[in-house]
Amino acid sequence: MRSGTAKGNTEHAASGETFVFRRPTIGVLTPVAALGAAFIILLTASPLLNLFVAALATGSRGLSSLLSGSVPTLLAKTLLLATLATLWALLLGVPPAWILTRTDLPGRRLFRVLGLLPLAIPPYIGALTYITLLGPVGPVNKAYQAMGGSGQLVNIYGLWGGVLVLGLFTYPYILLLAGSALESSNPAMEEAARAAGHGPMGIFVRVTLPLLRPSLLAGSLLVFLYALSDFAAVSFLRVTTFTTEIYHQLNTRFDQRGAAALSAVLVLLTLLVLVAQRKNLGRRSFVQRRSGAKPPTVYPLGRWKVPALICTYLVLGGSVFLPIALLLYQAGSAATIFQTLASGHRYLWNSLWTAAVAATVATVLALFVAYLIDRRKGPVGLLLTAATQLGYAIPGTVLGLSLILLYNTYVPWIYGTAAMVVLGYLLRYLPQAVQGSAAALSQVDPNLEEAARGLGRSSWQALREVTIPLIRPGMVAGWMLVFISSIKELAATLLLRPAGFDTLPVRIWIATIEVDFAVAASTSLILIATTALPLFLIKRLDSGISQLD
Amino acid sequence: MADRGTIGTTVILLILGWASAIMLAPTTPASASELVIYSGRKESAIKPVVDLFERKTGAKAVLKIGKTSGLANEILQERRRPRADIFIATEAGVCEFLAREGALDPYAPPRARPIPPEYKSSKGFWTGISGRARVILYNTGLVKNEEVPGSVLDLADPKWNGKIAIARTLERTTLSWLGAVVHVLGEAKAKAYIDGLLRNGLKVLPDNSDVWRGVGSGEFALGLTNSPNYHLALKAGLPVGVVYPDQGPSGMGSLVNPNAVAIVKGARHLVLARRFVDFILSQEAQAILVRHAFEIPLVSGMDAGEVRPLSSFKSLKLSQERLADLEERTIRLFPGF
Repeated sequence: MRSGTAKGNTEHAASGETFVFRRPTIGVLTPVAALGAAFIILLTASPLLNLFVAALATGSRGLSSLLSGSVPTLLAKTLLLATLATLWALLLGVPPAWILTRTDLPGRRLFRVLGLLPLAIPPYIGALTYITLLGPVGPVNKAYQAMGGSGQLVNIYGLWGGVLVLGLFTYPYILLLAGSALESSNPAMEEAARAAGHGPMGIFVRVTLPLLRPSLLAGSLLVFLYALSDFAAVSFLRVTTFTTEIYHQLNTRFDQRGAAALSAVLVLLTLLVLVAQRKNLGRRSFVQRRSGAKPPTVYPLGRWKVPALICTYLVLGGSVFLPIALLLYQAGSAATIFQTLASGHRYLWNSLWTAAVAATVATVLALFVAYLIDRRKGPVGLLLTAATQLGYAIPGTVLGLSLILLYNTYVPWIYGTAAMVVLGYLLRYLPQAVQGSAAALSQVDPNLEEAARGLGRSSWQALREVTIPLIRPGMVAGWMLVFISSIKELAATLLLRPAGFDTLPVRIWIATIEVDFAVAASTSLILIATTALPLFLIKRLDSGISQLD
Repeated sequence: MADRGTIGTTVILLILGWASAIMLAPTTPASASELVIYSGRKESAIKPVVDLFERKTGAKAVLKIGKTSGLANEILQERRRPRADIFIATEAGVCEFLAREGALDPYAPPRARPIPPEYKSSKGFWTGISGRARVILYNTGLVKNEEVPGSVLDLADPKWNGKIAIARTLERTTLSWLGAVVHVLGEAKAKAYIDGLLRNGLKVLPDNSDVWRGVGSGEFALGLTNSPNYHLALKAGLPVGVVYPDQGPSGMGSLVNPNAVAIVKGARHLVLARRFVDFILSQEAQAILVRHAFEIPLVSGMDAGEVRPLSSFKSLKLSQERLADLEERTIRLFPGF
């Protein structure tokens, strides 16, 4: 039984005739599909183009200011922050992903949902939590000084604080994508390794990890790019990054071109990272066939149960329980929360529907894009990858301003409606859906579709009946990622929302500048609960469907 | 081939469905008859004023609260098809900048006549609606009142090493203050003074709330910030005191940054916008604006409440036009901010 095949270049060349969307002729792209691709490229690339035009308009002055001064140092600092945050997120995300899908840890289903909750907590709230706890006058340093220590035991401000917080609130990207991959991977390969005499560790290193690579790369990429574009959390933690510098240009000088030039650097950086990812995947990529009938192997933990539980609780404690406990404390009473909910239910509704629409549209577009990218190497796929992925690195404010100029000028009837907010979410977070679908799709052997077609199914039926069920965990993961990211988006929303249209994060921001911590904390809790609810529902629905299969 | 087309068609249909769903979704876009107000001032301060305006005039107004600089960038981006009628800024330099960019419409409201010239545009592009003085905030647990320096020029004293905080120029009130220092001392002396502060461990924080919270919590002994923050810290129960610096006969006085209102060029509701500017300078609107947010009244005859009125301290006479002229040089002079 061949359970895995190396997808090499020879296979591409040889099998061009048989695979959907993989024919070397342009005829594969029917006019409608081509139109769809063009629409997506237009939608996603227009703000990028706008950005580069503005950046080029700075001329030599802009270029010299880019190359001189603090920019190279800043770039190095920012890269260091993003790299360390990604490593920290991998450390936090990979062990739980394996423990929660492959062992008999009690309560693992609940833990898997709880483990995603940090994504529901905006990193700036996480930053404030750790500043409260570990800040210069926080309880930890106070206790240290009371015990006779001088100065500070820990300094939350600066690079390490930024790494700590960014990692803690982004590791679920890795947990989610790696978890989905572990769930849908073929147990037969591990069984074969076990039969060959490998222990659990050997199986993990030799079989599981290589299979996980696409998801780990995708997850790491999301963390890395998030760290590049985050503003609020790093700014609270007093870390100077590329993004804080861009805000500086915009807010003190109103230098939109300077900000565009700096953002263009971020975009180019993203391009490099993406090319590296593609190269890495292309070099040694695996596909596997899975019928879906057999669940993954579950290892009994035995005496490792307690350490595994402690490890899980520690990660969850730092990223979920601690911030929520602090928010509950700041909110004061349940009455405050209910009052906030009663007076602000329309903000809740605004957040919910805009995020849900953005997530759904992103998932559909991502399937289309991922399919084209995966099954059709060539300029269209490359262009789609670039257009749909690069926007992720543009700071929200810069993207927002760029969209204002474009839509207010060319499609003014859209500008000034809530559609702009949805568009902002979509452009910022479409990459998450694409990464989710693409990672899942790269695990599916195109031969399966071919087999379905051989049995008389149409391409559409083959896609619907074979491919989509197989990559459904990845699509669901993508939907959730976009939903969660969108519902807590602030920077672009502040600019793009029509007057009178506020979302929950906007209300948190307003309450914060009003120094109304009780309302800010209550609204944050409502936001977290709102995000958690679909997480639970989808997890349940998804496992229900899996069992029905 | 038909089934392949089906995939594409489905995608297109979904896109169109999405577009139409959004068009029909229950949103609240500003309708043609509504006055659109972009406000950098806090909702709790400006919303009651807008509500009162609606009640008094029967007009409808929609409010967009944001960061002053963010909204200004937005107004610049919207120039080809302006959306806002009114812009309310927490710092007048932003309005002066927008005026120079040609994004504002001049209007000199009758009620602005008694306002001192530093607090309104000489060409009528914007009008000050209240002020905030640049003060030294101190932690009463760490510093005794008599120890607090009476001049910002004394802050380079080694005894304050590492104990003073200020916001970055991301907070434009810091930028104005630096501009004022350049104006008063001249470039060379200003540079030497600020470098002295930085050598003395002056901590440059992201924003003013970091400054007043940091001083209130005892992380810093002193903070250079704006007068309303003193009252905010008091309200939060923090142990703070305040000094209005440089009040001596030869002192430069304390800089006052005005909050400002302006009409956006190309405003679709110009008449209503002017009525709003008139209204925001009226006693009843001022009472809400000033008292709620611990601002210093600029129009005459207003009760300042617990805030020190303009007449009770020496303020620095410096026009926003002059500050705007100094701005680029100031930014270049202090890259550390």
